[in-house]
Amino acid sequence: MTMNHIPAALMALAGAPMTRRGLAKLRTRETLLGAAKRLITERGYEDATVRDIAKAAGLSTGAVFANFTDKSDLFHQVLSEDARVLAETMRQVAALREVGVRESLLTILASGYAFHLKQLPLLQAAYAESWRRDPSGEAAARGWTRQIIAILEGVLRQAIANGELRSDIDVELAVDLIWRAYQSNYRLAIYDGFDLDALTGRLERQLDLILPSLVLRQAA
Amino acid sequence: MAGLREAQKLATRGKVLAAARELFVEIGYDTATIRMIAERAGVATGSVFTTFPSKVSILRAVMDERLEKLFQELDAVAPHLRGPTVDRLCSILAVHYDFEMRRPRLFTAFLAANFEWPDGEPVITFGRQPRLNGILRDILDTGIANGDVRADADLDLFIDVLLAAYGFNYRLAAQDGLDSTELSALMDRQIALIFNGISARRA
Repeated sequence: MTMNHIPAALMALAGAPMTRRGLAKLRTRETLLGAAKRLITERGYEDATVRDIAKAAGLSTGAVFANFTDKSDLFHQVLSEDARVLAETMRQVAALREVGVRESLLTILASGYAFHLKQLPLLQAAYAESWRRDPSGEAAARGWTRQIIAILEGVLRQAIANGELRSDIDVELAVDLIWRAYQSNYRLAIYDGFDLDALTGRLERQLDLILPSLVLRQAA
Repeated sequence: MAGLREAQKLATRGKVLAAARELFVEIGYDTATIRMIAERAGVATGSVFTTFPSKVSILRAVMDERLEKLFQELDAVAPHLRGPTVDRLCSILAVHYDFEMRRPRLFTAFLAANFEWPDGEPVITFGRQPRLNGILRDILDTGIANGDVRADADLDLFIDVLLAAYGFNYRLAAQDGLDSTELSALMDRQIALIFNGISARRA
């Protein structure tokens, strides 16, 4: 039962011995997650019905409910898997260590824009859902966000260590603001057709607003 | 007789809005159905639909209606604003929190609706209310005149980042139970940080 909540990649890593039945179930689950993601991205959350998702996966509606509590659980698992992939992508980008805190943040967050721009309706549904989550859903979502926040905080801490940023700054507050600015720009992607360049350009200007107060004062 | 029909329509609209506002506050926007709204308003479900095309458009009308009250409160505060620009901004946003946190569920529903509305529905957009942004803009313009704010600062961008922080703070109200005082205190720290980016006396 708990298998429902363990991503396939992790299962594989764990090297847990899998029964044939377990493997088949995992594959069904993955197929359903893929179909759900595709349909929600194409049609939006409301119009992607459980029936259509099952059909697109070549499975019965019953198969959906054998693997997920309901549509919202299925959606939650899609987002969870996405969050894992995105955090991993950002971690890899962060490892490239761009020169300077501004460039690093921009490159990392631009990879987020690139990721979500391919599936805006999914993101739109996720944002709407984020305002009506129950506490357990919220805790899970914060766990996902936490991974990205940690990457961004790492960039700022590194910049403090380098002497680029002041050592007395409130890293959490600053990263939180940067994260909010980054997220708020998705409205421009959804409603005003901003593309990757436009979003990144805007974020760049927002960083220029937020970063100056963090920068170590230049010697006069 | 067109006049009578118009008057009836207006009366229905008023009843529906009042009922919807109550229900959105009491049980939440998602739980409230058009049927429940009709029942509370004492009108037929059908007449709700002839007045509003969808539930989200009722929400929009409820939110528009609330603006008048908010403007009154802001206008009452505006003449008493004193001190540095950053303090004035904090005061204005504190008024916002104080106002919206009387019905936090309503505002949260509004924020959620910002990301999903049916095609063809006029967009409800958080952060783009011209008069509310105008109030912030006036404070910043005064700040430029005072020498508090750099003359070349991108004020629209500043307001945008400010409101991004402002809006997301409601998540902490909804999920962590922060009250309006706590939200304002957090906002003060956020304002202080981003204000540095436009300050003429940059730290």
